[in-house]
Amino acid sequence: MRPVYLPRNLNELWQYFAENPEALVYAGGTDLLVNIRTGNIDPPALICLERLQELKGVEESSDTVRLGACMTLADLLANSLIKTNFVVLTKALQTLGSPLIRQMGTIGGNIGNASPAGDTLPPLYVLQAKVEIKSFESPRTLPIAEFICGPRQTPLRQGEIISAVILKKAQDYNIQHFEKVGLRKSLACSVVSMAALLKLSEEGIVEKAGLAWGSIAPTVFTSDACEEFLIGKKLTPATLETAAEMIRQEVSPIDDVRADTAYRRTVCGNLLLRLANETM
Amino acid sequence: MLKPYIPGIGNTIPRADAQAKVTGAEKYAADYYGDDLLWAGVKRAGIPHGLIREVRTEKAKKLPGVISVLTGKDVPGTNRQGIVHKDQPVLADSKVRHSGDAVALVVAKDKETLRKAVSLIEIDIEPLPGIFGIDDALNPDLPAVHEEHATGNILLKATVASGDATAAFSECDVVLEETFTVPVQAHAFLETENGIAWQEPDENIVMIVSTQAPFRDRFEISHALGIPMNRIRIIGPYLGGGFGGKDGATVQCLLALAAMHVPGRRIKMWWSREENIIAGYKRHAARMHYRLGAAADGTLKALQCRLYYDTGAYAHLGAEVMALGMEHAGGPYRIPHTLIEGWCLYTNNPIAGAMRGFGVVQVSFAFERMMNMLADRLQIDPLELRIKNALRRGDKNCAGVVITQSTGIAACLKEIEQHPLWRERSVWKSAAGPFKKRGVGLAAVFNAMGYGRGLPDSAIAKVELTEDSRIRVYNGVSDMGQGNATAFFQIAGQILCQENTAIELIGPDTARTLPSGSASASRTTYTYGNALIKACEQLRQKLIGMASLMLLADTTQDLELLPGRVCHLTSGKEVSLKQLASMMSEQDRICTSQFIMPVVRGVPDTGKEFSIGFPHLLFSHAAHLAYVEVDELTGTIEVKQYLAATEAGRIINPQSFEQQVQGAIAQGIGYALSEQVILKEGNILNPNFATYIIPTACDIPEITSQPVEDYEPSGPYGMKGVGEVGTNGPLPAIANAVSDACGINPAQSPLTAAYVLECSGQKDAPFTGGNI
Amino acid sequence: MKISFTLNGKKTEIDVAPDRRVVDVLREDLGLTGTKEGCGAGECGACTILTDGETRLSCLMLAAQLEGLNIITVEGLAVDGRLHPLQQAFVERGAVQCGFCTPGMLLAGVALLKKNPDPSHEEIREGLSGNLCRCTGYQKIIDAVQAAAGNLYGKETP
Repeated sequence: MRPVYLPRNLNELWQYFAENPEALVYAGGTDLLVNIRTGNIDPPALICLERLQELKGVEESSDTVRLGACMTLADLLANSLIKTNFVVLTKALQTLGSPLIRQMGTIGGNIGNASPAGDTLPPLYVLQAKVEIKSFESPRTLPIAEFICGPRQTPLRQGEIISAVILKKAQDYNIQHFEKVGLRKSLACSVVSMAALLKLSEEGIVEKAGLAWGSIAPTVFTSDACEEFLIGKKLTPATLETAAEMIRQEVSPIDDVRADTAYRRTVCGNLLLRLANETM
Repeated sequence: MLKPYIPGIGNTIPRADAQAKVTGAEKYAADYYGDDLLWAGVKRAGIPHGLIREVRTEKAKKLPGVISVLTGKDVPGTNRQGIVHKDQPVLADSKVRHSGDAVALVVAKDKETLRKAVSLIEIDIEPLPGIFGIDDALNPDLPAVHEEHATGNILLKATVASGDATAAFSECDVVLEETFTVPVQAHAFLETENGIAWQEPDENIVMIVSTQAPFRDRFEISHALGIPMNRIRIIGPYLGGGFGGKDGATVQCLLALAAMHVPGRRIKMWWSREENIIAGYKRHAARMHYRLGAAADGTLKALQCRLYYDTGAYAHLGAEVMALGMEHAGGPYRIPHTLIEGWCLYTNNPIAGAMRGFGVVQVSFAFERMMNMLADRLQIDPLELRIKNALRRGDKNCAGVVITQSTGIAACLKEIEQHPLWRERSVWKSAAGPFKKRGVGLAAVFNAMGYGRGLPDSAIAKVELTEDSRIRVYNGVSDMGQGNATAFFQIAGQILCQENTAIELIGPDTARTLPSGSASASRTTYTYGNALIKACEQLRQKLIGMASLMLLADTTQDLELLPGRVCHLTSGKEVSLKQLASMMSEQDRICTSQFIMPVVRGVPDTGKEFSIGFPHLLFSHAAHLAYVEVDELTGTIEVKQYLAATEAGRIINPQSFEQQVQGAIAQGIGYALSEQVILKEGNILNPNFATYIIPTACDIPEITSQPVEDYEPSGPYGMKGVGEVGTNGPLPAIANAVSDACGINPAQSPLTAAYVLECSGQKDAPFTGGNI
Repeated sequence: MKISFTLNGKKTEIDVAPDRRVVDVLREDLGLTGTKEGCGAGECGACTILTDGETRLSCLMLAAQLEGLNIITVEGLAVDGRLHPLQQAFVERGAVQCGFCTPGMLLAGVALLKKNPDPSHEEIREGLSGNLCRCTGYQKIIDAVQAAAGNLYGKETP
């Protein structure tokens, strides 16, 4: 038997941490409890964050939106502030797990789990999200790309939790695109995913571009070269094919039980070609 | 709530089990616990092939809360189980033959202690070279999985032939050849293998278990553990799915062994999902070489096939599965000359056995792809080609058996021809969006019913007028979800004219019901139903006869059985069933009757290697049409529409019929698109629902079921079994549709996005432009 | 650990290990075996329950988390022996075959209809896509949810 604590506020949380430094935290439990079941981990104590009101809510300031880490994925999917400002994130949330998983899983959990296939991660990369970290001592904030260090690796120290995700508003992109390829249409782990933010001029010229791929590398894959290549060009099939080939050359995708390297390489490029639809 | 009604034949009535299932009241085997419960579990080999040097159990035995740890040495009796060949140990004694082999059995006070104890057991195995597939099994230089088997790793080699195929090929205008492969499929029923057992003070063993074959289980336990059959009682509640995977011993012998060692205590074993996938039975992987010859007008002339079925570590029903595959290898068509050879092979892969579409699913893919390739080659419409060659009554099938019973394949194909989905296919195909390609595909399939020759397909029904004047049906054949219990309810209602509230069903229980065979082979409603009709008619006669005495009627002609009573129509006098029951002895209130399925009489001189299960007399038929859309960028297939025309004789319950059609097709769609047990040197890489991918509600399209009724004179009310035939169609129909959409020729399954892209020649190559 | 919560409308207090899975608490300790387990890892939905009206996978929830919640299991859907309209629709529309997914499917369906009283077929498919069914091909389940939506919210039954 291991103790399970349900702190009601951060002060209680810090106290539980002080008493149980080896305790692991969870919110929805959709990853951590699965890992305990398989025997991958065996923590001496658990701290469940689901009752921490301080980690809930979506707050808007003049230039940012702050998502509490314990907001469930279903909460976020239903949130109008996110729907209007961050369509790319909403599109990714729609494909994440199943309604049952989204009801339990949280945004903080999806980030903290740092899975190569985490569905919110490519959108958070292109949105240049910041991860707010709290501990008994003092909070700190890291860009998402620095927070995710490797598969299941983050710089979280003992006694630290993810408290929020901060997104910058008014990102003047007019194309917000997300596509995920899984082995079925719902309840699927991503095989390849791509998030894209593009700003096109009235003539269809790319002025700004943010691209990020999931599930093809140990962490979310981005390409400055590819983004720079697209800027100043129209999204013609030929341009997109050149960009696609750049990505295929640049990546060295993972090979697993869901798909092999060759498939991921082909498709991570192919997903760019879909952007041609956006201009029609 | 519905008002009471008389459940009759041919109507949609709510399933007899629905009310209890929607309220959570229905108790499955998994729902039995009990006071002072102990938990049993097994340590599995983890290595696919090797000699057991030592099983170290000391640490586990010392763990507080561990009651018993047993190994192969502790098994009394033969320590061998298996439906036909007894080649599978309850606990591996000298050798392990696949990773999921049970090596030690632990009984502990709770699940957590059990888990720890199992992890403390160490098995020292001297590894042997593994037989990891068909080629390994055919290589005589590699070691035998079963040293004692005379033909090495060839469990059975058989030939089914008709006419003179070799000569006929030279007269064909066109000959096509292709090799097809299909992987292992898992049943993925939601209730994993489980049961609870205990030894009573009189040393009898009682077991409540999720099983498709309660009476055979008794025999398996008796043989393996050396317990007389009459000391074993098996109770089989409704199953949370079976599909063939609970046809054969899973937990049964292990639980009985545990019960013998810890008398008096209730002992529960419930396999995890991972155990279910690793150790449970599977659908056979197969490789199929096909050669098909035809005349220029599309008339089929000659077929030659070589079929290889990977049966895994133990025989289970491997030879019988292959026999049925070979019997269906030529499809529901007239082919005068056939030569079908089959090899059923032992390997160190998971154990393959019965699964819905028993050997037929595999060959249906191969044959129906060949038919489409032939249609393409000869530029004949694929539907027309199928109708032209469709089997009709009086024809010989590919095994040389003359079809004497109802045969509706041509009618099914014509049903498709009339349907708007077939007629409007071109319009739909041309409306594909950017980066999408659309195609439609057909499949014509059939599936035999019953055990076939060599094994009596028998059921014994028992029906009782209870003391309190209810009708009680004692049903010895499991309902794993297919709804046969409801059909029995309808049969009793129809003949005995009683309301649903006055009829009760007693489920399989070797102490209360009578041997009626397994829930398998699309046979349950047919065989038990026929027996029940006879038993109910006897009871009806008896009640009328008894009423005539009570009502002083000198002829029974005017006596009518009505809900709760018998009425003398001309005088209006009545006697209640309660009064009748009170004047009858218990013995008098019970009627039993046995039915044995008819068999092929003119058995052709072929397939002599099969001791049982060949050939079959009765077949159900279906024609399927799939609409698919393929994404050119990802290779992903989406099934957009599905139409199935199905002939299975007359329909007893239209809702149950549709349930079977839709459910079978959904499993077939999973098999077509995503399901495969991925093996690496005998170990399963995807033993859970995160990686073994079955369809969700989003992956299955609307399925339109068009019944095509025929009358099968031997069937109860003219019906035949419909449980399996639908599973055979989706893979070939979808593969043919993908071929139509993309101009590729799929020859393996599942049709994953990666495989589709690979076939499309786009993999690792620059994209050459969509339809923009 | 003592835990208090409301279970199918009744105040309930239990004394269990805090890390015991809720599915085990319900099935083994409280005898409510209507809640099923099919995978133990959140991949099948058979163990779905409602907590404060929202779906929850009881195999991925620990006893300590029950504190103060209002829990509904399949046993709590019918009121005074009267089936919930969705249960009734499952019976009439043939949405039940083996029935092992049924409890989870019903609770997911109830939660779906609460959020979206008039769902399209596609929305129902999506809404139930965390609940695996191996028997039905889902079609009759979807028909039943749509029929119940009609009955619950006065729409015409298709």
